[in-house]
Amino acid sequence: MLSSAQFAIEQRRRTGRIGVRLFIVSETMFFAALFFAWYYLGVTSNSAWPPDGVARPLLAPAVLNTALTLISAVTMWLASRSIGRDDQRGLVFWMAASVVCAVVFMAVQTQEFRELAYIAQGSSYGSLFLFLLFFHAVRVFVGVVLMLIVLVRASMHQLNARRRLLVDATVMYWYFIVAVWLAVFTVLYVL
Amino acid sequence: MASISIPVRSQDKAKSGLLGWLATVDHKKVGLMYMVMAFVFFIGSGLLALIIRTQLAAPGMTLVDPNTYNQIFTMHGTGMIFLFTIPMLVGGFGNYFLPIMIGARDVAFPRLNAFSFWITLGAGLVMSIAFLVGDRSAAAWTAYVPLSTSTYSPQSGMDIWLLGLILAGIGSTLGAVNFMVTIFTMRAPGMTAWRIPMFVWAMATTAVMVLLATPVLTAALVMLVADRNFSTQFFTTSNARLWQHMFWFYSHPAVYIMVLPAMGVVSEVLPVFSRKPLFGAKAVVISTALIGILGFTTWVHHMFVSGVSPAIERFFIFTTMVIAVPTGVKMFNWIFTMWGGSLNLKTPLLMCIGFLSTFVIGGITGVIQAAGPVDSYLHNSYWVVAHFHYVLFGGSVFGIFAGLYYWAPKMVGRMFDDKLGKLHFVLMFFGFNLTFFPMHILGLEGMPRRIATYAGDRGWAAGNLVATIGAFTIALSILVFIINLVKIARSKEAAPADPWEGNTLEWMIPSPPPEYNFAVIPTVQSDRPALDARNGGVTPAAHH
Repeated sequence: MLSSAQFAIEQRRRTGRIGVRLFIVSETMFFAALFFAWYYLGVTSNSAWPPDGVARPLLAPAVLNTALTLISAVTMWLASRSIGRDDQRGLVFWMAASVVCAVVFMAVQTQEFRELAYIAQGSSYGSLFLFLLFFHAVRVFVGVVLMLIVLVRASMHQLNARRRLLVDATVMYWYFIVAVWLAVFTVLYVL
Repeated sequence: MASISIPVRSQDKAKSGLLGWLATVDHKKVGLMYMVMAFVFFIGSGLLALIIRTQLAAPGMTLVDPNTYNQIFTMHGTGMIFLFTIPMLVGGFGNYFLPIMIGARDVAFPRLNAFSFWITLGAGLVMSIAFLVGDRSAAAWTAYVPLSTSTYSPQSGMDIWLLGLILAGIGSTLGAVNFMVTIFTMRAPGMTAWRIPMFVWAMATTAVMVLLATPVLTAALVMLVADRNFSTQFFTTSNARLWQHMFWFYSHPAVYIMVLPAMGVVSEVLPVFSRKPLFGAKAVVISTALIGILGFTTWVHHMFVSGVSPAIERFFIFTTMVIAVPTGVKMFNWIFTMWGGSLNLKTPLLMCIGFLSTFVIGGITGVIQAAGPVDSYLHNSYWVVAHFHYVLFGGSVFGIFAGLYYWAPKMVGRMFDDKLGKLHFVLMFFGFNLTFFPMHILGLEGMPRRIATYAGDRGWAAGNLVATIGAFTIALSILVFIINLVKIARSKEAAPADPWEGNTLEWMIPSPPPEYNFAVIPTVQSDRPALDARNGGVTPAAHH
């Protein structure tokens, strides 16, 4: 039997999880709009898509980032499993591992931005290419901030198997970021 | 009686005075702040409309120059849509009544709710300050490219306008999340799906539409900001239709975002003032949901003259005509709710009758112009101005005033003057039809919308003069409403908890409600819990 305080925490977690899911729906629509623009301009464009003279971006850093993203999805899942088992050390370890993946991802992408920034102003293709990368990167940054808050609160022993809404929210949002990257990688680099 | 009694905590924390409003997270105070803000923008945008109507009263008027005229109708449309109608219905009525009607003490995320309000107010202030200091956007509320690009709108007022809409969009998206979670998780025990009040159903559908549509507009606005400031190449002239797609993917559903809550208000007021249950309540709910879904399939009908392939045009003609069906179903539900009822002809009911009789014209003209060939003749003419004012004034504004009169005793705890209310209705009803009906004819006679003036030999003078007289009649009716507000403020007549013999939970708590709404969370046993309480138990299922 749950005490009334535990009941309230459980209720908060349920409410919060639905809220995060709905927020992710709105975020999905934002990216869907950008992908729509990508395909719409690709189809209606009078010139080639990508336009002549714009080199296709390098695949190697994107593949590296895709690997990092997939690894981070696994480490996040392990972090989530750890808190379910009240394993504080596991939570901290796997959350820290996810931070490392995300930071390396951002470092690789910063380099890519430096090399590609010029294409944003040359064509619709370049503008959308960088926009999709940039707005995904903004979400990665938000994800890292959330992870760091989890780490701080975990180190203060404020999280456990019941009091875990923050971890749930971070993990759910990160899975969304992973999914966006897979879509970005597929559409921008592979297809 | 089974009930859940959670200790009331917020009461002892409540602050009074100005700080009590600035720091509040109470859904009722947040709702009232939305309403006050929205009403101020209604007055402001209405005054702009009077300038427009004065300018057009006779041929060749030069009250304002054409550029100023463009700025004025831009801000009139933007203000009425984003700073009045949506904040009033969704932010105002939604915040105040949605939690009470489902038997909750607040929304799911009260602090996020307050944040949504302040960011919406911020959007309004940013846009109005830019307007007042003279740095204005002049690309209409649709901000079509290339007119809104830095080439043709170099002024920073355009950027500020875009920023304001991005802020308003964030506020409204977060509000939608909040309402949906509240409806999912915080309903009183016993409030199953078919016992949810019609206004709450309308708000749920509206929230889904806001959640799915607004981020698309946000993306388009951000892309336009980047085009203007960072030389990206999204909306080049050859990509102009991309803007139209993204803009209307939001802005067509936005019509339903503005109308569905008003329909929800009407579905609450009509049964109470006809002293009958809502006719075919399930059909109303299903129609509402259908409008929500179909609302996402019609946006291209704004673009028939922009060049779309015939197959796509036919598809969108079809969907646009189809969406009139659930709307028509609701019209009949409302009429049959009143049919044979014991009508209590007070101001809220009159406003609903105003809603029904004007909205139906807006609906029918919508079906007429849905046909592509007809649309290519009517597009961008005054016919369109007539059509959408019949929908958004005839629908939303009459619905808003129905709700304001219906719920005023609950919100302020005093009664309004019903005679003044009736005068308000009569003036507004006649003023409205005088203003907008002649615009149908002006449109058919070829008068384009958004022109700053016209030559005397066009034959448009009489229609325009009538419209201008109508517009000032509407203004007079709003003045009567304001006098009524002052009288309410000075009134000594305390409103009872349930002045109308209402059906829904808000009529079971004092007027105005205490901060915690319900001392004991009620248990709901039918779709009309307040009626049950008056009858001392559950009423027998007496549908139709």
